[in-house]
Amino acid sequence: MCGQINLFRHFYENLCPSHTIYDINCPDYSFRKFTDDGHFLIAFSRTHQDLIVYRPSWLSYSCKGDCPFSLDAHLPPKAQCFDSFFHHLYTVSLASANEFICKDFFLYVHTLRFGLFATSTAQANDPTTSSAEGAVHGVPSIEKITFYLVRLDDGVVLDEKAFCNDFVNLAHCTGAFLYDDLLCIVSLRYQTIHILQIRESGNLVEVRKIGAYCQEDDELFLQSHAQVSPGSSFLPGIKQRLLSFIFRKTWNEEADQNMRVQHLKKKFYFHFQDYVDLIIWKVQFLDRHHLLIKFGSVDGGVSRSTDQGLSFFAVYNMETTEVVSFYQNSSEEMYSFFEQFYDFFNSVSRSTLHAQFISSHTNNMHALDQLLNIKNKSTSFSQFVKKMMLTLPYTCQSHSPSPYFDLSLFRYDDKLISAIDRHRHSTEHPIKFISLRQPNVVKFKIKPGAEGGGPDGGRPKKVSSFLFHPYLPLILSVQQTYMQPTVVNLHFRR
Amino acid sequence: MSSSLSASLTATGFPSGGGGGASGGGGGGGRGGGGVGARPWSSATSASASGKRIQKEMVDLNANPPVECAAGPKNDNLYHWIATILGPTGTPYEGGVYFLDIIFPCDYPYNPPTVSFKTRIYHCNIDSAGKLSLGILKEGWSPAMTISKLLLAIRSIIINPDPFNSLMPTIARLYLTDKAKHDEIAAEWTMRFAR
Repeated sequence: MCGQINLFRHFYENLCPSHTIYDINCPDYSFRKFTDDGHFLIAFSRTHQDLIVYRPSWLSYSCKGDCPFSLDAHLPPKAQCFDSFFHHLYTVSLASANEFICKDFFLYVHTLRFGLFATSTAQANDPTTSSAEGAVHGVPSIEKITFYLVRLDDGVVLDEKAFCNDFVNLAHCTGAFLYDDLLCIVSLRYQTIHILQIRESGNLVEVRKIGAYCQEDDELFLQSHAQVSPGSSFLPGIKQRLLSFIFRKTWNEEADQNMRVQHLKKKFYFHFQDYVDLIIWKVQFLDRHHLLIKFGSVDGGVSRSTDQGLSFFAVYNMETTEVVSFYQNSSEEMYSFFEQFYDFFNSVSRSTLHAQFISSHTNNMHALDQLLNIKNKSTSFSQFVKKMMLTLPYTCQSHSPSPYFDLSLFRYDDKLISAIDRHRHSTEHPIKFISLRQPNVVKFKIKPGAEGGGPDGGRPKKVSSFLFHPYLPLILSVQQTYMQPTVVNLHFRR
Repeated sequence: MSSSLSASLTATGFPSGGGGGASGGGGGGGRGGGGVGARPWSSATSASASGKRIQKEMVDLNANPPVECAAGPKNDNLYHWIATILGPTGTPYEGGVYFLDIIFPCDYPYNPPTVSFKTRIYHCNIDSAGKLSLGILKEGWSPAMTISKLLLAIRSIIINPDPFNSLMPTIARLYLTDKAKHDEIAAEWTMRFAR
């Protein structure tokens, strides 16, 4: 079936953006992304306090009267304007005076057409000042982080959930993951995985907390037995599960009783404190019951550096509260899952029709070629494995489903552009999308920034981001240059 | 994996060891761990003697491992051990994996080690902070005790609680008056906190 749909997608080879409106006259907003169903364009105000939502309406534009089909002909003035492509639905204020919308954070609940946004107060400068009980030392604290559930059709804020004096990694939605109606939010500071359910009614309901305890009523259970003693040094629930899993695994590795003690000493007790000190970095759902949890050192969880230090992956079943498996980030077994079953890690994104087409090395032979190419070129296999493992857990909704990123249709320089939603340093050269079936045919080019390029010789750093509509030939390229106004180009088919 | 893991652990700046006294007593030296004992060092020779004694017990433990128990120095600190006791079959603790801290004083074996549970357990001889009350860890201590014997003693009190010398009177009372109910609760604790 997938093959047939892919054949249908070949149609996009001949339905490419063909025209660019340079520096389109548009409001000075920070454009974030198209929702994966193409219904909305999300933007934030420059003050990072308001949410602005547009509806792409490009297809409804028609030209009356004299409308020559020559490529040189100028578009009628009305067609040059942003409002002809996007219909402004509403502007809602989400952040109060000392709060800001995190512009990297947006998750879309496509079944209910809800959007999830986050605001935060400024980060406290000194992470060591406030060390509340249960907080991990070395993790910064933010006075207040608030998640807002917004009905995108009309901009009504349905519910909100605040985390106070806590730290959630909001950048690129790292600290949150959406799976159908289940949302997990990782508190780095309190080492707690909050599982929330997004109800149809628009409520965010906390259904489970995993960290100090594993089951939702564990704490209540302890209280009912009058056995909560402050300052006790018991292992947190999730760590008990993890350590007992590692212990039993190590125990079973050696059948001989006498050798076993030695084996445990070297492989388990010697590293005991290191395992205890591991913190939860990032979490994703594998299905409704299983979480893939990445553990690492305190330093690596907070800094944004993509260091390839030691980290571990655990698969945890929330229902049975069991650790199912545990791997180091250099594990070849873990890599083989990654190579052969990558779609299990990003199966979440399959929820929308268009998202099914996101190319990965398990559904696309060209992507697999690319991966195996890097694998063969790498000098150290373990370094290569660690590098690949950096992409896990999967970052929720981080890939654009646009057909122009489909590696079975187009070829493009993935240093300049890719389906992954990230800012990139832009060059003066237009980005070419080359047909895969006709290797010499450039199907279209997109060029961020001003039409003529710039006289600057590329000295100031320019950063571009690209917003691809999930299925229409409609692309916004946003170029930001230090101390200069943002240039938004609109690429479309005329 | 061991050596490479530890090498990378250090290389990545992993906070090594716990509680400040992690890297004391490396290997055969048997020096006393920094922040370990509450007791002051009596003399360098006795610390070294205790180290040698602990070393010797480690060898004995390898030769005669107790049933369903294991123990080893935490990281490379000879004076701070972690022990693991598997919940004995046929008891409400079955299925549990219990981790314990064992901290040796500098004048070991003349004084007993301090033992506490790091895993929650519903037991009349273990208090709500995990502290274990056991005769041989107090006035009943003898320098002839070893880690192996100690682990067996702990395992045996898990199987047969001593309600007449309890730290948790309500649990002890329930154990004496309604053992079935006691076992039911203890088994639920095992499922919730000790797996």
